[in-house]
Amino acid sequence: MDSESKLINLTIDGTEVSVPEGTTILKAAERLGIVIPRYCWHPGLSAPAQCRMCLVEVEGWPKPQPACVQQVQDGMVVNTDCVEARKARRGVIEFLLLNHPLDCPICDAAGQCMLQDYAHETGQLRRRAVEAKVVLGRDHVTPEIVYFADRCILCTRCVRFMDEIAQEPVLQVINRGHKGYIDTMTDELFEHPFSMNIVDVCPVGALVNEDFLFKARSWDLDQTASICPGCSQGCNVALGTKENRVVRLKPRFNPEVNSYWMCDHGRREVVRWGAGMRAEVPLVREAERLVPADWARALDATVEALRGVEGGAKAIVDPGASNESLYIVRRLMDQVGFDGGSFRVSSGPQQVLKGFPKLALREDRAANASGAEALGYGRVDDIYGAVRSHRGVLFVLEEGLDDAPEDFADGSALFVYIGSVLSPAARKADIVLPSPSFAEMDGTFTNFEGRVQRFTQGLRPPGLARPIWMSGSVVLARLGGGEPFTSAAAAFAALAEEFTAFSGLSYEKIGLTGAVSAAAESGATAS
Amino acid sequence: MSDAMHAAIAGAQPSQRAEKNPDAPLFEGVYKERFDSILTRYPNKRAALLPVLHMAQEIRGWISPETMTRVAELLELTPAYVRSVASFYTMFALRPVGRYLIQVCVGIGCDLCGAEEVTERFLELTKTRIGETSDDGKYTVVEVECLGACAFPTVVQVNDQVYENVKAEEVESLLKELD
Amino acid sequence: MAYPYEHPREERMLSRYFGEVDAIGIDGWIERGGYTALEKALGTAQDDVIQVVKDSGLRGRGGAGFPAGLKWSFMPKDGKAPSYVACNADESEPGTFKDRELMRWTPHQVIEGIIIASYAVRAQHAYIYIRGEFVDIVRVLNGAVVEAYERGYLGMNILGSGYDLDLTVHTGAGAYIAGEETGLLNSLEGRRAEPRVKPPFPAQKGAFGMPTTVNNVETLASVPHIVLNGADWYRQWGTEKSPGTKLFSCCGHLQRPGNYEVPLDFSLKELVYDLCGGPPEGRELLGVIPGGSSVPILTVDELDCEVSYEGIEAAGSFLGSGGLIAMDDSTCMVRAVRRMVEFYAHESCGQCTPCREGTSWLTKILRRIERGDGREEDIPLLLDVGSNMAGSTICPLSDSAAVPVVSSIQKFEDEYMAHIRDGSCTAKR
Repeated sequence: MDSESKLINLTIDGTEVSVPEGTTILKAAERLGIVIPRYCWHPGLSAPAQCRMCLVEVEGWPKPQPACVQQVQDGMVVNTDCVEARKARRGVIEFLLLNHPLDCPICDAAGQCMLQDYAHETGQLRRRAVEAKVVLGRDHVTPEIVYFADRCILCTRCVRFMDEIAQEPVLQVINRGHKGYIDTMTDELFEHPFSMNIVDVCPVGALVNEDFLFKARSWDLDQTASICPGCSQGCNVALGTKENRVVRLKPRFNPEVNSYWMCDHGRREVVRWGAGMRAEVPLVREAERLVPADWARALDATVEALRGVEGGAKAIVDPGASNESLYIVRRLMDQVGFDGGSFRVSSGPQQVLKGFPKLALREDRAANASGAEALGYGRVDDIYGAVRSHRGVLFVLEEGLDDAPEDFADGSALFVYIGSVLSPAARKADIVLPSPSFAEMDGTFTNFEGRVQRFTQGLRPPGLARPIWMSGSVVLARLGGGEPFTSAAAAFAALAEEFTAFSGLSYEKIGLTGAVSAAAESGATAS
Repeated sequence: MSDAMHAAIAGAQPSQRAEKNPDAPLFEGVYKERFDSILTRYPNKRAALLPVLHMAQEIRGWISPETMTRVAELLELTPAYVRSVASFYTMFALRPVGRYLIQVCVGIGCDLCGAEEVTERFLELTKTRIGETSDDGKYTVVEVECLGACAFPTVVQVNDQVYENVKAEEVESLLKELD
Repeated sequence: MAYPYEHPREERMLSRYFGEVDAIGIDGWIERGGYTALEKALGTAQDDVIQVVKDSGLRGRGGAGFPAGLKWSFMPKDGKAPSYVACNADESEPGTFKDRELMRWTPHQVIEGIIIASYAVRAQHAYIYIRGEFVDIVRVLNGAVVEAYERGYLGMNILGSGYDLDLTVHTGAGAYIAGEETGLLNSLEGRRAEPRVKPPFPAQKGAFGMPTTVNNVETLASVPHIVLNGADWYRQWGTEKSPGTKLFSCCGHLQRPGNYEVPLDFSLKELVYDLCGGPPEGRELLGVIPGGSSVPILTVDELDCEVSYEGIEAAGSFLGSGGLIAMDDSTCMVRAVRRMVEFYAHESCGQCTPCREGTSWLTKILRRIERGDGREEDIPLLLDVGSNMAGSTICPLSDSAAVPVVSSIQKFEDEYMAHIRDGSCTAKR
């Protein structure tokens, strides 16, 4: 479309730039790397031009113009950092701080607050107002989100998110003028599956997630690019981690998958992960007991056990396991004769985000059911039934086995458990290979529409846990020759060679926003 | 009343009656007819919000949360949206008011000509403070911005009735006239 | 309630029948020549109606003074999409009460103007957006609209012309900002009366997303006269840039406050001292605000000018809505300004930061000075806050709030200093 529309030439801060007709000054400036300060403007929402922070000078125009809505014109000369624009910004900041409590020490947004940033930038040391500040207080707007009215700058991003994107205008400006504040219907809290996006869009600390309150200072968080494991949508996210724990998830922009948004379910899900007893060392059965072993011994035992075993291999895998893990288990099974692998997916009601309908909390509450299917595993309701009379090797990958029957795996010649948490059923294994959670390693998931997306390691795995693509590839090398994989990327490259759903893809090609293999795409078009 | 007549009036008349019944049924009988005819005057339901809120206030004397929720339902809006709009406009009472809502204009025209004394006299005689309702539930005195009759100061509006050229010394007789 | 004062020097085109109870009803109005302009207009091509209004030079009487005919010409001519006319009867500018009188005494004059305008811009539905506080006027208008429907001036096939028009009286509910034309459109649509970002302008995307013309009551009431008598006739009054007559609402400290209709080349000084009779006995005038509280105050020495748009501008203020507020020497200027700014703080819709916060801050500073707690640095502070509020918002309310502060400091700084230095007031009680 860009090529069809007319190009407009203008000058911003002394540099010439050409942009398509209809572009706003704010967007044109971004092309030059100039970020014009703004509060009410958000790339995923409409632009009400009401905070007046983005006022810039257009030479020859009588008044400063809001860069967020003013479209470029040929020959326009824009100054974003001249005396006039600076004065306008200083003015807005001073107005916004008139009744602001300046409670940054106890504010969750400190360190990631646009009010802090721009106030700092305008550098006003002295408060000119001697009037007492107005105090409004705070209140819940959802069971989990608290509104601090005194910090609010009334930019209405949250109101517009609920109106335009959630399309349930349940959050509104109440009253008018300086008496305005944000609220729901009198004495009511609202609930919405995507409600926590209002916390993300808030440019200050007015809307905070109670669950995160006083958990961490934002500057103490490490950020890792990842994929939400909560459902098959595959929202691109940033893991916020501190002291080797995930404390929060924020959506990471991807126009093809989740735009700027993600659902509440995913956020809650991940923060709960990693709780409970973790498998930290390999275990090998000696006599009737599972005893700790180092990796050399555990791998020896695995190679030994797999050599010459009969009856073929079956597997139960978890649809939250990475493609790389699933692939290695598949290869291990092939060594002794693949006899079918199965998985089950927990489900819940689908919740579409109306204003961005590509995004939904999907019925499949697992990240990689599509990947598991592409790698030859079958979706079943009863994972236990599929292995009941199995006499050969049984692999279990990351499936928790919480509801396994008493006689689970009793008949199998060898039971190898690869996972991060040990349930009683998992403890019946002959060999336990501890593996990291998704946040503790690199890997890929394939989302509901066949898009392959990478997640990266944000946490140290506990103890000796290491990914199965690594440990399993050592076993494979010893059983069948070849070299072990030295990276998840190498494991993926091998996988892509072998399975058409991944053909032509590589970690480089997937990047941090994902890709669909040509084969998968044409398949999708055909069907 | 002819059809044209009915449609034209369309219930757009703001009204503050002396008798207030917060429990009166909303939009029944003649009010239902007015409600329906209001809807015919606009291309969508949302546009009927102000006239419908005026009517609700005429019926019940104020706009309670329950009223807002009912209006939201009828006009296919969210209750929060209705609250947002209702709270924007000063004529919608979001709290109950007295039988007589006494609105004293304090716009610049009236202020220059003694509106303050008129307000004070009303407060004194009704034994209330600004915005509060007298103990007997009879009076609520409020200051309002310019009522648009600046040549006739002080302008006082009691419920539906506009009084012009009100002087402080006339307040007592004005109050007597109400009963 | 008889109409209070009139003066032989007035030129009563719009206000000719003010005070005549018989002119309110449709029979009385027709007896006085009403609706003949409509008949003439319906027999004329739409574009010719627009042309005569253009030629007349009629300018918007709501405050901005934009040429009415030009505004109409922005409306699409294909008549494909539904389009609207909105009569702006949200008269709320402090000191202005002319539209109220026009509607109260001559509702059919206004309705006739609306029908002609709607015909000219090819609108199918017109709304009178009237402020909710005008309870009694709404009653009058509703009655008049019913009469107009009954006589076939509204509805289907008006006077056999094939033109259909509906007219609905829509009442606001207490919001000055609904008088800003895009705030009005939002309010008409059942929203908060928050002004919209322009462009798009109402003629492109107005009420319900459709092309809309918004005109003030007085503008529309002038239309039948122009259509009936022609542009040249209308131009017998006023100046080249400001033709015609205009109603001035005069209030405050005057012997004969009220509405006076004068040609736009009339003298402001004579309007104040002759027509209105000047200040009450024994008083001196301190200053006059000529066009509603949003325009700069003029001192008594600055009144020697024409009341035209350009005349008042040359004197240092604006014609605005024609709401003239006179203040005599009993006035505490700080209090008067505080009262005006308080109004804007009360009426700010709150969208734009400078207006929402600035109006309330100015009020607080002024209150402090008024009660004797001012500091000398409050004067430059008021001016700087005012300058941060001016020209930086979606609509002009923010500018309007700064105007009385800045202009009164320029002209009456002594009054401020008396409060600040001595805690006293220069007003003569």
